[in-house]
Amino acid sequence: MNKRPYAWVRQLAAFAILLAIWEASGRAGLLNPLYAPAPSQIAAALVDLFGSGRIWTHMEATFTAALGGLALGILIGVAVAIVAAMVPLVAELVEPVMTLLNAIPRVILAPLFVIWLGIGTSSKVALAVVLVAVLMFFTVFTGIRQVDQRLVERIITLGGGRVALIRHVYLPSVAAWVMGSLKVAIGFAFTGAVVGEFVAASRGLGYLLSFAQSTYNAALMLAIVLLIMIVVLVIFALGGLLERRLLRWS
Amino acid sequence: MRVRDLSISYGAEPVLEGVDIGVGEGQFVSLVGPSGSGKSSLLRAVIGLQKPLDGSIELDVPSTDIGILFQDDALLPWKTARENVALGLTFRGIKKDEALAQADFWLARLGLAGFENRFPRRLSGGQRKRVALAQVLALKPKLILMDEPFASLDAIVRARVIQDVVALVEREHISVLLVTHDLEEALWLSDTIYLLSQGPHAHITREYNVPIPRPRDLIRARKHPAFAPLYEKLWRDLSREVGAAPRLVASDADAA
Ligand SMILES: Nc1ncnc2c1ncn2[C@@H]1O[C@H](COP(=O)(O)OP(=O)(O)OP(=O)(O)O)[C@@H](O)[C@H]1O
Ligand SMILES: [Mg+2]
Repeated sequence: MNKRPYAWVRQLAAFAILLAIWEASGRAGLLNPLYAPAPSQIAAALVDLFGSGRIWTHMEATFTAALGGLALGILIGVAVAIVAAMVPLVAELVEPVMTLLNAIPRVILAPLFVIWLGIGTSSKVALAVVLVAVLMFFTVFTGIRQVDQRLVERIITLGGGRVALIRHVYLPSVAAWVMGSLKVAIGFAFTGAVVGEFVAASRGLGYLLSFAQSTYNAALMLAIVLLIMIVVLVIFALGGLLERRLLRWS
Repeated sequence: MRVRDLSISYGAEPVLEGVDIGVGEGQFVSLVGPSGSGKSSLLRAVIGLQKPLDGSIELDVPSTDIGILFQDDALLPWKTARENVALGLTFRGIKKDEALAQADFWLARLGLAGFENRFPRRLSGGQRKRVALAQVLALKPKLILMDEPFASLDAIVRARVIQDVVALVEREHISVLLVTHDLEEALWLSDTIYLLSQGPHAHITREYNVPIPRPRDLIRARKHPAFAPLYEKLWRDLSREVGAAPRLVASDADAA
């Protein structure tokens, strides 16, 4: 896409105007604060969350679940994909399961994980893992099967063996595919963590959300949504840095 | 290197059938023929990437002394030009620093000084071809198989690269089997030219000797009295092959 220069200036300005209108209509009594609290009220809720310090334990819970689930999900997804690509029998057995898991909205497994693993962190990690691992499995599995055969032949004719093939062709290819779907995976990991907490938990941003819902606290709810957005954007940026570092050849 | 009675098949019908080709030590041999007749397949069979249906391939050099330039060459996109060139050297146990130094040398020889640290994505098609050529030459092969290596180069660069290859091959006494569509190129470079017939069941229909003396110079080679008549003859024979109707129907009848 060809971006016009200073797009962010216009975007920021539009956002500021929107906020101003929103705030003004709130103060003018045009919006019901119960449903649509003004930005200042959301900010106040956010300040209160941090000011009282009670946000940290929730952030920690969600982060642990999401990042743990992300790492574990990538590891499991990539590992299973590699084994499946090398052992036809594994592919035969695993692929239908993955296809099935891919077809259903995987968050419906959340209650099941609560029964199996309790309301602690592990059930959230498990949900994030399932979300991420299935995505990674397909990314890497199809990727390995479509690895550029010319590169494979190039390595062979230059005198490289199996180890060289894995090191110079397969690993970089896998890294590229994993990087390509990292952003989606990060989103999935947080979805898993938050939804898991939403279903049953005693800590976490998802738990806070469900608390806000049960008390009809729209300001708190929007504050948490905002917080999650900021957190994910920061992680995206970090992922982007990593991607640029690892894929600087592309 | 000698190929005897070689047949290659991807399916019911053999692409190549009963092909005989020889490349003597230090000899430059070209293979011309219609598109799809099986020239690339033949090269792939020689380095063992393609299992022949029948026939024998005798190599008088160890397979590590054979270099190949593919038609649709691919460099590792995640390695820079010099890393790509150094790769084969490191496979032979040469230390990385030394391999990179040799890579720079070969890149410079092929006119790519200053491009050492570029990734393939940032090189032109012709530059990539030259990196691939450097990758092969750096290994000091005794036999090089080339599949239309100069096709995507512009006229000037192409002449320069060809002249370089000629000089190198003559000096280092390298044997070459070159696949090309370009008859002029074949005449410039070769001692012997083989003409492959229209496939399927393609085979060698003619063999030409090029009596132009070495060391060769492109401009002077073209003015050699043997050049024009040979060119014309090659052209006529190749046109006849390309124009020949595929023998699909006839051979189906044979099979029945
Ligand atoms: N992997 C393959 N599977 C099936 N058929 C193939 C395969 N590779 C080549 N062929 C067929 O074999 C024939 C010879 O192919 P090849 O690439 O060797 O021709 P070529 O002489 O190199 O052609 P060109 O001059 O266009 O490069 C063609 O008819 C092609 O369709
Ligand atoms: Mg070909």
